[in-house]
Amino acid sequence: MNDHEIFINMINDNLNEMGDTIDCLYTTSNSCVKNKLLNRLRKNMSNIAMLTQGLRNGASMNNPQPSADRLFTAEELSRYNGKDGNPAYVAVNGIVYDVTNSAAWGGATHFGLTAGTDVTSQFASCHAGQPILSKLKVVGKMTG
Amino acid sequence: MNQTFNSCPNFTTRLETASALVHKAIDAVRQKNIPKRNLIWLELTGCSGNIISLLDGANPDFKSLASQMVNFIYDNSLMAAEGEAAMERLFGMTGGDYILAVEGAVSTKDNGLYNIIGRWKGQPVTAYETIKKFGEQASYVIAVGTCASDGGISAARPNPAECVGIQSLLDKKVIKLPGCPCHPDWFMGTLAYLMLFGEPELDSRQRPLMFYSTLIHDICPRRPYFDQGIFASKLGEKTCMFKLGCRGPVTRVDCPIRKWNDRVNWPIGDDSPCIGCAMFGFPDKMEPFISFDTT
Repeated sequence: MNDHEIFINMINDNLNEMGDTIDCLYTTSNSCVKNKLLNRLRKNMSNIAMLTQGLRNGASMNNPQPSADRLFTAEELSRYNGKDGNPAYVAVNGIVYDVTNSAAWGGATHFGLTAGTDVTSQFASCHAGQPILSKLKVVGKMTG
Repeated sequence: MNQTFNSCPNFTTRLETASALVHKAIDAVRQKNIPKRNLIWLELTGCSGNIISLLDGANPDFKSLASQMVNFIYDNSLMAAEGEAAMERLFGMTGGDYILAVEGAVSTKDNGLYNIIGRWKGQPVTAYETIKKFGEQASYVIAVGTCASDGGISAARPNPAECVGIQSLLDKKVIKLPGCPCHPDWFMGTLAYLMLFGEPELDSRQRPLMFYSTLIHDICPRRPYFDQGIFASKLGEKTCMFKLGCRGPVTRVDCPIRKWNDRVNWPIGDDSPCIGCAMFGFPDKMEPFISFDTT
C-alpha cells in the first residue's frame, strides 16, 4: 500500500468515526458526554486537515521527481544545519527535505542526528514504511 | 497552565488510573481475592533515583503499597536489615514466588565486577549475577527507570563499565517503565495491574500503553504556541521550546498530565525543555539538551 492509499484510508476512517460520533450526539443529553463527543469531532477534523495537507504534499513527493529543481552537493547541504538563520535540511534517498519546523527536529537535531546531513540509512532503519516523507516539504535533490 | 485541563475528561480520568488500580488491588488483597505478592526491588548500576521517586508517590503512596498491597521483601536502601542479614532476605526468596522490580542498568565488563551489590556467605555478589539469578525465576520483571529499561545514563558514552538494560541479559520478557526517574504512578499502576489482571497491554518497546501511549507534544499545554509558530529563544520564556531542542515531540509518556512531586509541576511547566528522559537512547541520542540560535 503506498502513502496515497494510506492517507485515503485514514481519512475514510476519520469520516466513519465522525458519522458514529454524530449518531451518538443525537442520543445523549448528558453534557459531559456531549463535550467528549464534540472533542472527538474536533480531533477528527484536525486529523483530516493534517491528512489532506499530507496528500497535497504527497502528490509531488511520492514520485521520485522532487518539486524543487535545486541541486545540492554534500557540502552545500551541510550549510543548512538549522542554525543562525539557515533552514534545516536533510537528505533521504537523494531528495532534500526541509525539517526546519518539523516537530521531531527540535533544535535541528533528531535522536543524535543533525540537520545538514544525509540520513538515508538512519531513516531506512527506523522509519521504513511510515508515511513521514510525504509530509515534508521537498527543496531539491542531491547531485550524483 | 495547571488549570488549563482540569475539566477535560482525557486528563482527569488518566490522573486516576494508578490510584484506581492500586485501591482495587489493595481491596482484592484484603478480601483475599488475590494473594499478597512478594516484591523484590534491586538497585543495580544506577543512582537510586527511582526508589527515591517511589517514596514521593502520592495517592497512591508508598506506604499503601508496602503495607497493604505487597510484601516488600528486599530493597537495600529501605530495609532495616543490613549486611549478610539483608542478603539473607534476598537469597531466601530463591525458588519462591515474587515480582522483581529493577532499577539501574547492569555493568557487564569483567563479569560484572564493577558493581558489587552485597556479600553472601563471604563472597561478593555482582549486579550481573543477581539479575541473571533472580530475573529468570521471577513471575514478572519490571524495569523501573531508563537505565534498567535501555541502559540510560549508566550506559552513556563512553560506557566504561559496559552497562546494558536488563532485557538484553534475560530471556524472560521485561516490562519497561523508562523515565529518569520513573514516576511513582507508572510503577504502582503497573504493579497493581499485574497483580489484578496479569500483563498489561504493551507497545512495541514493552512499555504499558496506559502510561506510554501519547506523545508529550500532543498533550503539552504549550502546544498552541507550536501550532502558531511562537517559539522561545531562551530559557524562561513561556512559549514553545521546540527551537531550544525540546524532545516532547519524540517522547511518549504522560508527564504533562501527571506532573511530579505530588503533581505540582513538570519540566516544561518550569520553562525547561523536555530532554526525552523517558525515551530509548536517552541521554546520548537526546543531546544536546539545549540549543540556541536555531532558525
